[in-house]
Amino acid sequence: MRPLIALWEKEWIALSRDVHGLAVLFLMPAVFIVVMSLALSDAFKGDPGRGTEFAVISADEKLADLFTRSLAGDGFRAASAPADEAAARSSVRRAKHKLVLVVPRDFERALDAPPDGRRTPPALTLLADPALPPAQLVAFQQRVLGVALSLRVSAMTRRAGIPTDAGAFDLKRAATLAVEVVGSTGRPSSVQQNVPAWLIFGMFFVVMPISSLFIVERRDGTLARMASLQVPFSMLLLGKVGPFFVINLGQTALMLLAGKTLVPWFGGEALALPARWDLVAAVAACTSLAAIGWGLAVAVCARTLEQATVIGGVGNILAAAIGGIMVPRFVMPEAMQTLADASPMAWALDGFHAVMLRQGGAADIALPCLKLLALAAVLFAIALWVHHRRRVLSPAQ
Amino acid sequence: MGTLNVEGLSFRYPRAGDAALQDATLVVPDGGIFGLLGPNGAGKTTLISILAGQLRGATGRIAAGGEALEAVRRSRPRFLGLVPQEYAFYPMLTCAENLRFFGGVQGLAGARLKQRLETVAAFARIEGVLKRRAGQLSGGLKRRLNLAIGLLGEPEILLLDEPTVGVDPQSRAFLLDSIRSLARPGTTIIYTSHYMEEIEAICDHVAIIDHGRVLLSGALAEVLQDSSGLLTLHLRTPLPDALASDWKGRYALREDGAARYSLRVPGAAQVAQAIEAARAAGCEPLAVGYGQRNLEQLFMQLTQRSLRD
Repeated sequence: MRPLIALWEKEWIALSRDVHGLAVLFLMPAVFIVVMSLALSDAFKGDPGRGTEFAVISADEKLADLFTRSLAGDGFRAASAPADEAAARSSVRRAKHKLVLVVPRDFERALDAPPDGRRTPPALTLLADPALPPAQLVAFQQRVLGVALSLRVSAMTRRAGIPTDAGAFDLKRAATLAVEVVGSTGRPSSVQQNVPAWLIFGMFFVVMPISSLFIVERRDGTLARMASLQVPFSMLLLGKVGPFFVINLGQTALMLLAGKTLVPWFGGEALALPARWDLVAAVAACTSLAAIGWGLAVAVCARTLEQATVIGGVGNILAAAIGGIMVPRFVMPEAMQTLADASPMAWALDGFHAVMLRQGGAADIALPCLKLLALAAVLFAIALWVHHRRRVLSPAQ
Repeated sequence: MGTLNVEGLSFRYPRAGDAALQDATLVVPDGGIFGLLGPNGAGKTTLISILAGQLRGATGRIAAGGEALEAVRRSRPRFLGLVPQEYAFYPMLTCAENLRFFGGVQGLAGARLKQRLETVAAFARIEGVLKRRAGQLSGGLKRRLNLAIGLLGEPEILLLDEPTVGVDPQSRAFLLDSIRSLARPGTTIIYTSHYMEEIEAICDHVAIIDHGRVLLSGALAEVLQDSSGLLTLHLRTPLPDALASDWKGRYALREDGAARYSLRVPGAAQVAQAIEAARAAGCEPLAVGYGQRNLEQLFMQLTQRSLRD
């Protein structure tokens, strides 16, 4: 036990004197959490912020007013209408208006005609800014068709002599629809996505200090010296696990604190803290072991500092890109979501979301935790195997 | 520890063409300094690395006191210490922290560790810099710290791999004196160097290695004895052409440097004649060697090339 304690002490002292390395481990995820939580807050709400502006052009002011009132709301905001269709096209081209609905002169008359399947339905034109997100365009299209349908049904009932009030066929009044989110909010908010995501990214960044210190030890002959002192290689690896495990847990505590205090301080939403801290600690511990295993494997396999930096850095960024750290998985296409399942960062994110977002129990984190622990064991075994196969600690002759 | 026997040791690095060690056989007596001499790349560090347990896969046998070295080291983990060629310590740690760490990984703790730390620091004369970060020390002090770390566990065999590389003459003299004082019954030092002066100055036994082969091994005094009639002369001024030409024919004269010569003379009487003839030609001898050769000459005889080539 004494040799292991000596290894941990040494690692602590070396780490505490590497100010830049520690800054990367703690400041980098904190900065990402604040910046990304604020930058993506509207995107996660599904709310375009100030609302997407639209205008309605119609020769019939009453009809234009009816369309404008019916279409406004749910993220769409009415703006003053351009003078005519040409002005509207110019306005959309210059991105002054996002959407302009052009109602033709004979639209109301066309609505009055009985629908018999032979006639062309009344035509409307929607001018749209190409930069508008497709989901918003589709949503607005549905709103327009909804208003048109209610106008048409009103016309039909009028013809049939059935008395109805003006808003009788408003789609919002067709039925009451209660949306019940099971668990917490179903989808993460910006801060709930970004705190665990960038925490995981920061945790996996221990690959840098682990591999760089290990390669320097190998280059400088300290590993050779320890081999001559009969210190088992597995103990040298365990000597790295203890201190970096504590660092990872420290990162977890500080990043949750940043989500709770720092993000709201900058104007963002505060992180909702989980009810089960033991489960958060379990997910963090499993993530930490996988991250440290990754660091050890890179440290042993890379022959130079440059190799370690490239393998470790690029590996982390790739795992983050496909694992839903940089882009949430729910916005990815299906194929990418399937690919994301291969990223250990995605497993860790699943674990954190199970506890922090869905208020899950031990059973909900079991699978991601098992995957992370299995990965840690495999990476540790790879480090031992590669070292054993190389047989040579120092190639100097 | 008894005698260290290396028998038929061979080793080839993965994907390397030539073997780094070929059938190396050595007998290292207990309690002295055994020098491994050879040019860079000769296989000295490979041999040291195999002895230190860094390299696996060598064929042959290594025994200490009749027992396999590996088994001895398993039962006595501090049996062997290594002072590598590199500064094998942590530059960001202070000297004291480095000593505490390397003592700790050897299982030393508490009062025992403190006592060993003080002893080796005093031996290497680094007491005054114990609180300084190792990376900030001069080359000479780094070498001393490197040596002190190697002594923490009181090894019975201490492997010193080129321990004076890159130090100033004063530090080198201190290190050589210190190393010399370490050799005693029960403590054997294996010392590698490509500086023949160092080997001649401190070693009792020597082995010359080249291209992975042990060319010669034995007690230093014995291997330096020469019965070939070699006479070496270092003169104040170079020999005149006429005398040099005469000696070339008669004594197979060879120039070894500025006013330095090697001759083959048939007997002691001709040694006196040659010295007299040189004096008569106005070339006062500064140094004369007969019946003994130095390691450079020995290496040249064995390999037909200089150690410095």
